[in-house]
Amino acid sequence: MITFDKVTKKFPLGNTALNDVSFEIDDNQFVFLVGQSGAGKTTILKMITQEIIPSSGSIIVDDFDVTDKNFSQKIELRRKIGIIFQDFKVLVDKNIYENVAVSLKVIGADYSEIKNKVMAALELVGLSKKTMVFPVQLSAGELQRVAIARAIVGDRDIIIADEPTGNLDPKTSWDIMKIFKKLEGKKTIIIATHNTDIVNSFQKRVLVLKEGKIIKDQRKGGYEL
Amino acid sequence: MREIWTSIRRTPYQSFSSFLILFFTLFLTLILFVSLTFLYGTLNYLETKPQVTVYFQNKTPENNIFKVRDELMDSGKVLNIKYISKNDAFNIYKQLNKDNPLLLEMVSADILPPSLEIYAKKPIFLPEIAEYLKKQGDIDEVQYEKDIIDKLLVLTNTIRMSALIFFSYLILMSIVVLTTMILFKIALKESEITLLKLIGATNFYIRKPYILESLFLGITASTLSFGIFALAVFYFSPFLQSYFKGIATLSVDMFSYKMVIWPLNYIFFTTIFASISLFGAIIATVASYIATNKYLKV
Repeated sequence: MITFDKVTKKFPLGNTALNDVSFEIDDNQFVFLVGQSGAGKTTILKMITQEIIPSSGSIIVDDFDVTDKNFSQKIELRRKIGIIFQDFKVLVDKNIYENVAVSLKVIGADYSEIKNKVMAALELVGLSKKTMVFPVQLSAGELQRVAIARAIVGDRDIIIADEPTGNLDPKTSWDIMKIFKKLEGKKTIIIATHNTDIVNSFQKRVLVLKEGKIIKDQRKGGYEL
Repeated sequence: MREIWTSIRRTPYQSFSSFLILFFTLFLTLILFVSLTFLYGTLNYLETKPQVTVYFQNKTPENNIFKVRDELMDSGKVLNIKYISKNDAFNIYKQLNKDNPLLLEMVSADILPPSLEIYAKKPIFLPEIAEYLKKQGDIDEVQYEKDIIDKLLVLTNTIRMSALIFFSYLILMSIVVLTTMILFKIALKESEITLLKLIGATNFYIRKPYILESLFLGITASTLSFGIFALAVFYFSPFLQSYFKGIATLSVDMFSYKMVIWPLNYIFFTTIFASISLFGAIIATVASYIATNKYLKV
């Protein structure tokens, strides 16, 4: 479970990114964060991984109180979370297999575990026949599939995606979202997006943000700002 | 090792640039290190050369001369004392003037005084020794070139201090240059490091490949530097033999061990190789550690 309780974030230059935000996300729930640019979507995602510390309020992620001043389990927290970025962030000097495997190598998994899990993840995203290919040889959609495989491999129960279809054409975007659909009910999925069609068709929980506040929380919502 | 080689192979230009920086730095360091070692050795040798010569009165019994000699040896400040008896002095005189028989007719062993040639362990002991000798009985004359000794002391101390400062500067510059070089390489990987931090990699996991690669490049560069240096020494050995002709040995004090640096020997070469490898490994590791620190604060 992820709990935000009266979370506020004010940056040093005076900009308020989040203002008294409270919500709860249950395990294995599928949630969209929607809002205009600057509404606070990315700030929420970065707070979950403790990239950003709130100015006030508390955040609990899977029993980790990430706002505790003495919190020292950042590495353990991040090993539970798979992150997907708008710009993919694949490692250009590693092939696809190595890109996905790095998610398991950082936790010290052994060779056979890495091989089994990486192949299972690549199978899920439809890239099992391209393990030795390098990112420069892939399309944008395939790169995002690699990123998804890296995010879901291992025991990462929380998947956060910041504009995962932002750099993709509509057809490829749908192909990517089908992968998320396969993960529904198995992992907690939080997707920040501008893609109205996807949000409207998925009919999942939607948290609508505006100027750092949650203005709407619809259990089965569409894209309405 | 496979991962190091893979990383080098996939970023060949960056790795080659780092290698070149390390190689030139280490080669220069090696040349300076050996030059400074030989300078130190030569200074040590020169410092044992100046001597005090004390001439005794003609009728001084040998026992009195030997007593002064033994007291000086027991003081711990003297390296060696050579006793020149009246007959020895006469033989030296004859040898020096063998082409001038007229001078030889005028001189006999009786008129030449016995003397002690005293070689101190360090030039700073010479004034003390001279003062001691002047207070002894049976002394006719004490000779030592005070001005030259004072100038040599100033020169050797200045050279030693300058060498230390220059070497410290070289180490600092090496680390700064290498850190900058590695920072450039790592800057290209900033996104990768950020990603690794976000997926739960420890700082050690992120640092390890860069430090290992730098270590590998450092040791390879130092080995190549040593190889080229050894070839150069072998090529120039006839010149070195003639330059140091007349000098039996040169040595430097390394902590409590006296290492012979001339004639060239395996221990000296092994010490150089070990030192430069260690130096290369240290500066490469330190530079990598500092460079990776910048990007680990996610």
